[in-house]
Amino acid sequence: MKLAPVDYVILATYFAMVLGIGWMLRKKVSTSGDFLLSGRAVPVWITSLAFIAANLGAQELIGMAASGAKYGIMTAHFYWVGAIPAMVFMGLFMMPFYYGSKARSVPEYLKMRFDEKTRGFNAFTFAVMTIFSSGISMYVMGLLMHLVLGWSFSTSVLATAAIVLAYTYLGGLTSAIYNEVLQFFLIVAGFAPLAILSCVKAGGWHGIVSRLPSNMTHSWTHMGSAADNPMGVEVFGMVAGLGFVLSFGYWCTNFLVVQRAMAADSMSAARRTPLLGAIPKMFLPFVVILPGIAAVALAQMSAAGGAHLYDLPVKLSGGVWVKDYDQVLTTLMAKFYPAGILGVGLTGLMASFMSGMAGNVTAFNTVFTYDIYQSYIRKGAPDRHYLTVGRMTTIVGVALSIGAAYLAQYYNNIMDLLQFVFGFVNAPLFATFLLGMFWKRATANGAFFGLVTGTVAAAFTWGLTVAEGKGGVFGQVHTFPSVMAQNFWIAIVAFTSCFLVTVLVSMVTRMRKESELEGLVYGLTKIPHDENARWFERPVVLAVFVLVVAVILNIWFA
Amino acid sequence: MDLRVPSGWFFTLLGVILVVMGLIAPGYRLAALTDVNVNLYSGIAMLVFGLFLLLMARRAASKSR
Repeated sequence: MKLAPVDYVILATYFAMVLGIGWMLRKKVSTSGDFLLSGRAVPVWITSLAFIAANLGAQELIGMAASGAKYGIMTAHFYWVGAIPAMVFMGLFMMPFYYGSKARSVPEYLKMRFDEKTRGFNAFTFAVMTIFSSGISMYVMGLLMHLVLGWSFSTSVLATAAIVLAYTYLGGLTSAIYNEVLQFFLIVAGFAPLAILSCVKAGGWHGIVSRLPSNMTHSWTHMGSAADNPMGVEVFGMVAGLGFVLSFGYWCTNFLVVQRAMAADSMSAARRTPLLGAIPKMFLPFVVILPGIAAVALAQMSAAGGAHLYDLPVKLSGGVWVKDYDQVLTTLMAKFYPAGILGVGLTGLMASFMSGMAGNVTAFNTVFTYDIYQSYIRKGAPDRHYLTVGRMTTIVGVALSIGAAYLAQYYNNIMDLLQFVFGFVNAPLFATFLLGMFWKRATANGAFFGLVTGTVAAAFTWGLTVAEGKGGVFGQVHTFPSVMAQNFWIAIVAFTSCFLVTVLVSMVTRMRKESELEGLVYGLTKIPHDENARWFERPVVLAVFVLVVAVILNIWFA
Repeated sequence: MDLRVPSGWFFTLLGVILVVMGLIAPGYRLAALTDVNVNLYSGIAMLVFGLFLLLMARRAASKSR
């Protein structure tokens, strides 16, 4: 793919834009709360778009098109079964405790509800995880830019990291959130035309259905047995593993997204953040997954000369040519986009990369400053000091992610493993939150030992099972039909063991005084009622609307 | 700062660039499967979106004054 001058103009305009937004917001930062928490003053339409944009990194964009080509419409389960119900639950039931407790971060809520050791455990794992996630996504992006445009790996990684650093350093979380909204618009503007063009070329949805095997165009019909569908997952593993444990774990406890809702300007806005975000989120599969599915149909169609319209990209792996699904998105762009819109598409890709990275960096600096530095290194300093620490941590966070990106370049296998581990690291945590928020009897020791047991159980399940020839380092007790199924089941095991151990230990340890749990636990917290709000501003109304549309989408593509 | 202002200008500018590309150079650097004037149509959509954001920002500003 070769860019024209106009494409560079568009890319440069975008870079100027994000830096300009950071520059304009720099004056709004005078305390550590302004820098790390946006002073809780961001309008709800902005927080809700940032809520989904922080998750829409380059890996998500490239990965969803890749999964579309590999698994077909079943990939939409990540949205219609996974994200949507979890986001509704988060807005309706969990946000009152997060926002109402005045906690500044997810680990800090754990400290208020349970104790220091639970917070410490969560803060450290989260900090390490964000750095590596950020690094891995930089690596993926640098690799892609090198492959597609021939740009040097170091140039694209360092230049984009420098821009992200500049605007997050200037305007803190507010700047990251504002830019995430711009980035979200740009991702849609850059990729919606591709979805339309590729789908029309493949003969519309009906044309795609007629060309592909039935199990790639039906999301539920072939889920009775793992052997029948390309993902290799059966209904229970899908619904319990992905739909319940993994998605609720991610969307309800991952500070990266929760932080966006916490920045909202009122309790009502905080609750509506995930609910309003769910509306565009439901339709994202048509932008990010559909091109991947259309690509497979195009690969079976021939032009007048007899050549295929499109060939799925391949790469050399261990001496054999295998399909390289990660390149589906960019090769499609090269096939469909003339100069001009190509620039917009490429800028969208850069934007997704930046929003993912800024999301990780801003979550990292808050957790490090408040939950690690202020708790373990230096307590009780004046706020100015923590603002400086927050800014310094932003620089360190970016530098560490660059380091992780280079590490990923040299130790590919370790990164694959880490990514797999991050897939279920939130699974036990969700059990801790569920019990912590809805069962006042849950105790600090219960939570801590539950969390540790859940994590250890996850590691053992991974070590004792095999999928697609991987895993099984401690032995081979069970073989899963696919890595995806293995991932879902590890999550189910981790969640269940954390849940059981938390309950058992809580029963034999002493509960905290009820007066200390006010605002933290269901039954001891005033849940806001919104009788005075206009009907479309009520969380329950929004939640019902979102769920009904999600059910319709599931049935439509069943 | 009202985010609708900078993003409105951004998409208006992007829309103008694409519309101009679509009008004066509809055949410039086409890709293998391009068979409609993508630049023109997506440019119009972005232009409309950009102007809509600017209009919304203007209405909000005049209401608060």
